[in-house]
Amino acid sequence: MRPAPARPAGGGRVTVWFAGAMRGLAWMLIIIVAAGAPAGAAPERTASAESIYAQAPPRLLQIRTLVAGAGRQASIGSGFLVSADGLAITNYHVVSQFALEPQNYRLEYAAADGSRGEASLLAVDLANDLAVVRIDKHDAPFFSFNAAAIEGGLPKGERLYSMGNPLDLGFSISEGTYNGPVEHSYNERIHFTGALNPGMSGGPTVTADDLVVGVNVSTQRGGQLVSFLVPARFAAALLQRVHDQASPPDLRAEVARQLVAWRGALYRSFEQEGFRASALGPYRAPEAKPGWFTCWGQTNAGDTPKPRASIDSTNCSSDTSLFVASDLNIGAIQINHSHVRTVDLNQFQLAAVLTRLSQPRLAVGGPYRKWYTPERCHEDFVSAAPPDGRPPLRVIWCARAYREFDGLYDVALTAVTQDDGSEALVSRFNLQAVGYDDAMALGRHFLEALQVVR
Amino acid sequence: MIWIEILSRHRDVTARFRIVDAEASIGRGYDNDVIVDDPYVAARHVRVFRDEGGQWIAEDTGSANGMFLDGGRARLARIVVDGRQPIRIGQTLLRIREAGHAVDPERLARPQWQVFPALLAAVLMLGILGVAAVSLWLGQTDEVRASTYLTPLLGISSLLLIWVGSWTLLSRIFSGRSRFLDNLLIALVGLLAFSLYGVLAQYAAYAWTWQAPVTYFYVFAWVLLAAAGFLHLRTVGRSRLWLKGGVVTVLLAAAIVVQMLQRSEAFSLSGRENTARLLLPPAFRAVPLQDETAFFGEIARLRAKLDADRSKARPGPAGG
Repeated sequence: MRPAPARPAGGGRVTVWFAGAMRGLAWMLIIIVAAGAPAGAAPERTASAESIYAQAPPRLLQIRTLVAGAGRQASIGSGFLVSADGLAITNYHVVSQFALEPQNYRLEYAAADGSRGEASLLAVDLANDLAVVRIDKHDAPFFSFNAAAIEGGLPKGERLYSMGNPLDLGFSISEGTYNGPVEHSYNERIHFTGALNPGMSGGPTVTADDLVVGVNVSTQRGGQLVSFLVPARFAAALLQRVHDQASPPDLRAEVARQLVAWRGALYRSFEQEGFRASALGPYRAPEAKPGWFTCWGQTNAGDTPKPRASIDSTNCSSDTSLFVASDLNIGAIQINHSHVRTVDLNQFQLAAVLTRLSQPRLAVGGPYRKWYTPERCHEDFVSAAPPDGRPPLRVIWCARAYREFDGLYDVALTAVTQDDGSEALVSRFNLQAVGYDDAMALGRHFLEALQVVR
Repeated sequence: MIWIEILSRHRDVTARFRIVDAEASIGRGYDNDVIVDDPYVAARHVRVFRDEGGQWIAEDTGSANGMFLDGGRARLARIVVDGRQPIRIGQTLLRIREAGHAVDPERLARPQWQVFPALLAAVLMLGILGVAAVSLWLGQTDEVRASTYLTPLLGISSLLLIWVGSWTLLSRIFSGRSRFLDNLLIALVGLLAFSLYGVLAQYAAYAWTWQAPVTYFYVFAWVLLAAAGFLHLRTVGRSRLWLKGGVVTVLLAAAIVVQMLQRSEAFSLSGRENTARLLLPPAFRAVPLQDETAFFGEIARLRAKLDADRSKARPGPAGG
């Protein structure tokens, strides 16, 4: 699929990786050039921004993941204190390397006053990309949560101030607007119009009265100032969990457990809502009902040279990609239908087009050898029951398991209608990190929903 | 009367001397009846004469390098001439025959231009090019261009020409006859079998959902190549067929093993079988439609395999 003009969610994370630091240099150059512009162009600083800036630094942290063997930082992000006894919130993706491989990495914090020390990881929330760390600081000032934001009563358009340490340049504050929750999103995120840069991940975004509304998490790739925050209530809930838990869990196992639980809930809600039929030529094809799918259409009708088979496709994908590790984003659910009709191709030539369109492809979430078992496929001619109105199908089911996550599989289901030699519907259903039973139930509904009306 | 013949390495006669006297001498010197230009031959090397019993005898007249029977290692002072086994002096082979030496009966000549094999070759060639052209046509989904057809067809023809040409040349060198038609027929039959197998494998993959013939196409291709190679070798010369067969079989086994290894390494790197899932027009389906429930029964069975893969692949406690 060619990327559509504006891709749905799943934006860039705002941690600085090595590559991120290199990009930072280029960005800095632009700033130096911009500094030559007339001073009058600078925006007016409001009184509240100044007061927030004056109070923030002792409560802000930079969270560094260091390579244990080399003692150098592998990634940096931000964090903020939320209790007098040294508990701080940051993003899961800021500390993921340490959470998954504690033997290879260690965690360190740096405060604005120059103090630094070890940080210990207490809890993670994979679905909401949050983590709680404890640092050795007592009676330091800390942030409180905004009660209105937790209850969801914050008015749109409210001024917000986002804090963090962008690109390791020092603590900074950026001003923006609250735009309410993101629409068409499975995970709840706040749409914040303001600049978030790599390194600000895990930093707080506060209202003018200095209360936390959300946690900086990601930006929209290709967007302008389109940024996302994790709502404060998830941070408050995670903090509560830390207070309740006796000792920190085995985090690697905890990540696997949360992943399986979260994907289970996701696919259950998908199964409950199910599919709706959409028409493609004489065929009725299942499209996902849940609101967190976005669909795009595509046609080759205008191509030059004139195509010898017309292909009209729809492509629906969910925004349910989840950051699990720096090399594993377990991605979206995808449904793709292509209605192929011959213009001047014979049946064999059309079959060649269909062959090309129907090769099974499992979506790649990370390096194969680290995360996946080999792919296994089964292929057959299938008639869905009851057969009236349902075309015979050629179905290929390919699946692989996750090496470390029991009960999670990737599945690619491909079906080609076999009712006519001069046209066909190629339907693809890609499920990442799905329970096998969920995949079979959804796959079955998917096949049963493929119909032909002549 | 006898004839003394000088033979090439391939045992062809390169020179023949008629000896009318009862005795003849062979050597490098110009006072011999037969002069041999071989630095390893003495000035006077061999004397050939008739003994009391009427047998022709070759006798070493005191050379440094000696006299041998062809293929033998023992230095001989006297050899009774039998007209069949050549005698080696230095690096030269000699054969001595009496005028009464029996020769093979006259072989009946085949007609210069054989119609049937030539016709067969033409038909096979047309068959190969036809299968290739039709496959190209049925796979063509873009704009029609002459080069799409001409380039592969020319490629096949030139490859065939080079292959047959090489074998003809080898045949000419080692057996003296080029046997062009024999070599051409072997290559054509092999190539036709190759292309027909491709078509059938494609059909099996779709109509019977049987992937194995496509997956193991390479095994068939190597076997075919080996069989053709053996037949070409046989055409070149029928001696030591067991040795030729053995060499070809070993090479075949090595090729298949290497390719298998390559494929399994590629699979372990990517985790994907490198096989295309082929479709043909729906009318070619040869198996009944599987019931949906039965199909999902198969899918459920796949899960056990995946779980087995997982427990096999689970990393150690060192992680990653």
